[in-house]
Amino acid sequence: MALQVYTASLLKEGLVAYLALENGRPSWTSDIHQATVSEMATLDDLKQAAEQSEQDNIIVAPYAIDVLKTENGIVATTKREQIRAEGPTIELPQDTTRESRQAA
Amino acid sequence: MYKYSEQDHQLLLERVSQFRGQVDRRLKGELSEEEFKHQRLRNGLYLQLHAYMLRVAIPYGLLSSEQMRTLAHIARKYDKGYGHFSTRQNIQYNWPKLEDVPDILDDLAKVEMHAIQTSGNCIRNTTSDPLAGVARDEIEDPRPYCELIRQWSTFHPEFNFLPRKFKIAVSGATHDRAAVAVHDIGLRLVKSETSEETGFEVYVGGGLGRTPMLGKIIRKYLPKQDMLTYLEAILRVYNMLGRRDNIYKARIKILVHETGEERFRELVETEWEKIKAGGLFLRDEDFNWVKGFFNDPVYESLPDSDADFENLMLSNAEFARWVDKNIELHKQSGYRIVYLSLKTAHQPPGDVTADQMDAIADLADKYSLGHIRTTHRQNLVLSDVPLKDLPALWEELKALDLATPNYNHVTDIISCPGLDYCALATARSIPISQAITARFDDYDFINDLGDVSINISGCINACGHHHVANIGILGVNKKGTEVYQLTLGGSAREDAAIGKIIGPAFEADEIVDAVGKVLAVYLESREEPEETFLMTYRRLGQAPFKERLYG
Repeated sequence: MALQVYTASLLKEGLVAYLALENGRPSWTSDIHQATVSEMATLDDLKQAAEQSEQDNIIVAPYAIDVLKTENGIVATTKREQIRAEGPTIELPQDTTRESRQAA
Repeated sequence: MYKYSEQDHQLLLERVSQFRGQVDRRLKGELSEEEFKHQRLRNGLYLQLHAYMLRVAIPYGLLSSEQMRTLAHIARKYDKGYGHFSTRQNIQYNWPKLEDVPDILDDLAKVEMHAIQTSGNCIRNTTSDPLAGVARDEIEDPRPYCELIRQWSTFHPEFNFLPRKFKIAVSGATHDRAAVAVHDIGLRLVKSETSEETGFEVYVGGGLGRTPMLGKIIRKYLPKQDMLTYLEAILRVYNMLGRRDNIYKARIKILVHETGEERFRELVETEWEKIKAGGLFLRDEDFNWVKGFFNDPVYESLPDSDADFENLMLSNAEFARWVDKNIELHKQSGYRIVYLSLKTAHQPPGDVTADQMDAIADLADKYSLGHIRTTHRQNLVLSDVPLKDLPALWEELKALDLATPNYNHVTDIISCPGLDYCALATARSIPISQAITARFDDYDFINDLGDVSINISGCINACGHHHVANIGILGVNKKGTEVYQLTLGGSAREDAAIGKIIGPAFEADEIVDAVGKVLAVYLESREEPEETFLMTYRRLGQAPFKERLYG
């Protein structure tokens, strides 16, 4: 069975977050590499902690995703989740970008 | 443009206050996400791939410079310094925090803007011709009718929970720049065959998405006094009979298709008979009142030539190219319409930074009577620029990276946000549009190709309008890989057509080459330079393109 981590959106910010369990206590991090992988805790424990965080109004719509452990850390298996983890694959428009381009 | 009444202002403030309370209750846990979701969507707030996304309505694509400055302020203060103009002439912010949204809505309300009905199963922002009121081919200015529709449809109690979202477009010109045939209802102002009056040709059941269809003309001529009663009748039939059991079959296009055009027309006409003499019948005083908001500005009496302009046209090829591609004649002598291209090689299609927005607002004040229009091709328009000011305006636009000479040409690509932002998307679209732009970003090539459209969608929902592009690209996920399907022969104009899939999809690193092959076939096959891509495709059909692509 593939390794999994739990992900969701933070209620206040809407930003992508991953569940990290430390001594059974849940916290949510934007860094997928800090997520607790299903080999370190049971998927049921992760699910329970995620649902509790949802009830506590910390996160919205948690779900499990498949991941791989690589030499570069935890990597989601789908393109969608890779983009969620890393952000848009394009350069975001920035006023400074234009200025530096013109300077170049 | 329309100015809010005291009642309008009050309504908006109450709505913002209401939403502030809902957000507060959500953050305290007094509302569940399921309960809150319906409230936030009523206020244009989605939860997307990376963050919340707020869609702000720009009624029929018309903005004042003051409103544009507020959009810049919101981008700067609450977002990541930019916004995205959409194919429905709205603007979207990709990174607002939930707790900031009531403040954003407050700021918008101060300049008579909001995000109401930009989401959900209701009547959305009415879109129109970005050249309304200034186009030379205009039969009548559609904006007063758009405004009447806006007022009728906003908070309409009967149509707040339709089977599915509902989009209306209105065009008042000979050339369709509002894509009326691919809207749930499209209205085209036409002249009566028997009098001097104008009325509407009524299209119903157009739309894109997974089942693309062109609207059917259910009335060739509707007196304009009957516009709202007839719209009400159509919406009533749809609200009663539209499918609510299957989201994929809930749009009015499916109802029209399943009911049959003739039967659907009968149903509408029967319903209309019951209400046509009611309170929504439009009287002369209604038209006079609303048209008062859209009177022509006081144009100066200017010559239709200018020595400095002519000299620059002769001496500066770059300026001449911009004039050739991004300028249109204005109904008023001595004035021109200027397209601001949001399709550079450096920014995603439709994206504008806060500094650019502020600068555009300043340019609108300086050169174009303080108004800006958004287009469904994700560009902006300064509609009233004196010919003599074009050289100075061009210099300023160049410095802002808004003077790419490509309007309606191959690098003027419509693109949805795709998998880089959208929770529904299955493939990325912006990187493909940027790769195509990078490949073909050569003026001589663009100029030689002439009028050709490329649109890209990142999923079957078709927000990038790929079905109605001359060259459409649809990104899909095939066994974990993003692949791109080509459709050829679509058009969103008065000769509207749904493009046809040419064959198996291409991988991401093949699609730009595939587009190149399609363009090469066109250039080799056209009978004369004036024959556009679409004309060549219609003359030859798919065969030569298919042969080149698949051998």
